Amino acid sequence: MSDVQTGSLPLRTAQNMIVENDDFADTLVARRPPSRGEVMAEICRQLEPFQTDDGAAITGATVISKDLSIDSLAVMDMVMDLEDQFDVSIPMNVVAEIHTVDELADTILSLSARR
Amino acid sequence: MTLLPTRNSQLAFSRATFRSVPEMLDYAARGETGVTFYTARGERLAALTWCEIRDRAHVVARKLIGAGFARGDRLLITADTWPGFFDTFFGAQYAGMLPVPVSIPVGIGGKEAYLEQLRRQFAASGAVAAVGIDDLAGFLAEAAAEFPDLRLHGGVGAIDSLPEKPVDLRPLGPDDDCYIQFSSGSTRHPHGVRIQQSALMANLAGITGPAGLDVVIGDRAVSWLPLYHDMGLIGFLMAPLSSQLSIDYLTPRDFARRPMQWLNLISRNRASIAYSPSFGYDLATRRGAMQVPDDLDLSTWRVAGIGGDMVRAEVLERFAAAFEPKGFNRSAFIPSYGMAEVCLAITFCPHGTGFRTDTVDRAALGNEQRAVPAADSADAQTARRFVVCGRVLPGHQLEVRDESGTVLGDRQVGRIFVKGPSIMPGYFNEPEASHAVLSKDGWLDTGDLGYLLDGEIVVTGRAKDLIIVHGRNVWPQDIEWAIEGRRLVKTGDSAAFSVDSGEGERVVVAVVARVSGDEARAELARDVAGAVREAVVVDCEVVLVPPALGLPMTSSGKLSRARARANYLAGLYAPPPSSTKPAAA
Repeated sequence: MSDVQTGSLPLRTAQNMIVENDDFADTLVARRPPSRGEVMAEICRQLEPFQTDDGAAITGATVISKDLSIDSLAVMDMVMDLEDQFDVSIPMNVVAEIHTVDELADTILSLSARR
Repeated sequence: MTLLPTRNSQLAFSRATFRSVPEMLDYAARGETGVTFYTARGERLAALTWCEIRDRAHVVARKLIGAGFARGDRLLITADTWPGFFDTFFGAQYAGMLPVPVSIPVGIGGKEAYLEQLRRQFAASGAVAAVGIDDLAGFLAEAAAEFPDLRLHGGVGAIDSLPEKPVDLRPLGPDDDCYIQFSSGSTRHPHGVRIQQSALMANLAGITGPAGLDVVIGDRAVSWLPLYHDMGLIGFLMAPLSSQLSIDYLTPRDFARRPMQWLNLISRNRASIAYSPSFGYDLATRRGAMQVPDDLDLSTWRVAGIGGDMVRAEVLERFAAAFEPKGFNRSAFIPSYGMAEVCLAITFCPHGTGFRTDTVDRAALGNEQRAVPAADSADAQTARRFVVCGRVLPGHQLEVRDESGTVLGDRQVGRIFVKGPSIMPGYFNEPEASHAVLSKDGWLDTGDLGYLLDGEIVVTGRAKDLIIVHGRNVWPQDIEWAIEGRRLVKTGDSAAFSVDSGEGERVVVAVVARVSGDEARAELARDVAGAVREAVVVDCEVVLVPPALGLPMTSSGKLSRARARANYLAGLYAPPPSSTKPAAA
């Protein structure tokens, strides 16, 4: 793909509007790599609405697609939200191998350390 | 980087007058139009003119031919929306090889299910090479381990690193096949539709012609549709290419994340043609409403097509109401109907009329298979509203038949059959499955149910058990297999079906609960929902079937999903304790 042109787009109004209105776009871009505690806290905060009625707490061992009542679209939303917040990009093959909250946190940490 | 032009300055507009994909790319390459890839933020990532696409494809073709691949060999490609897909798809066309576009993995924890799907696609297509984006090279290698015939696999570098040899191109011609479309059959037994060059050209003539979208000079296409789906690949790559249009792409996941970008691209680039299944219009309405830029202008959008799943009137009405203040014209809606077995399209609604509905009596529809106009069309209890999907393309025929094969008249519900030059010759290497849907005299059994209304088709449902979620075909067998494969219940103890309220299709999984105690029953339901989500990326409602009742069987001892659905609707199956219904989206 070496001969693919890349470059920035001349700014246009419609695009500016989108970015301004996009609450995910310019939030927290941490300069230092986040701590594990910060990542875990953010994941738990995002997953909290999806806790099941049995009241089991979200832990590192929680299996995201099984132990919570979160649907597939919401899972992908959450992943993309975390990507924005911690300024990382999780490759699709890596996402496909994540099952637990711990695995998700570790993935984000190792990607942000590499940044 | 300037925006690729909407019109060619010198090259004469020629609408689907070609005999093969290489011919249409050769022609479009003489102009300045092309394709542009956008990010989720609306930034231009890459742009390629049709000329650049053709030149890059020639290089890939010479590498493939030089590496010894034979004419007719199959090349599997993970069809993400990226320039490499264009290089390999068109490279194969000039090398005389058949591309096999396949999906990319979605969602958390989906690796094993994806590998299994790849293995089955390797087996069904007999692919000798498989390439994808670099991130998927590892998955391709893992899945390829059991396939010694797969001589080449990997990421972008797999083909790049082959030497380019001074060999003659051997483009696919008018009598050849074009590619293999996986979209039919279950994941377990995938059937690849043989898309022939001639059938594709016939379908493109219909799509771009006066009975279709009536493509004109100055049209520009915007698409987020996946390129592994016939609507993405034929509708929003082949059809615009056949008319030398420029196309602006978003990836499907970026659309899901920021649906407003789809409309924003249409507005910014003054586009005129864009398509989506109903759920995309729904997503744009529900999630985009908070981010509408003041200067959004949808007045250039002249074809707002709907296809790929049941067309939902309520969704389209909400979309129109939300975006009419931004210049959207509701008469731009064009409902359509089709499937991969006819390449893509078989019926289109006429232009300028918007979508039209027919409201019928629910009881007569359910009990007598007749579509009788409803006495009170406003009463959702007794009336059901359907969207009219238009007339069959010129040169094609469409019939609605009853179980005995008798052709039915207006307002009688039966199976939809179609015939004509767009119909596939069969599934790749699957004579039995092909005979099951194709008659000797060329009629295709679509497996869909519907009725005719003054020459237009109204699709009401499906004769087969297929479930369609967000435009994606999901076979109930795949869901049941995922559950039973993990030994959550024993074989035959699960049934998956969809329930359609008119607003949308919902997946329900009924499992026989051979455990006692609220905790164990709730756990079973959770495990089942989790297994389904991981394996087929579908959210479902799980209900528990009392062991004494069991699941209904047909007379030949097969699971009857239709009767399981009826039992569910009759309230015979219990929700699990402390409900595990999916959270509201």
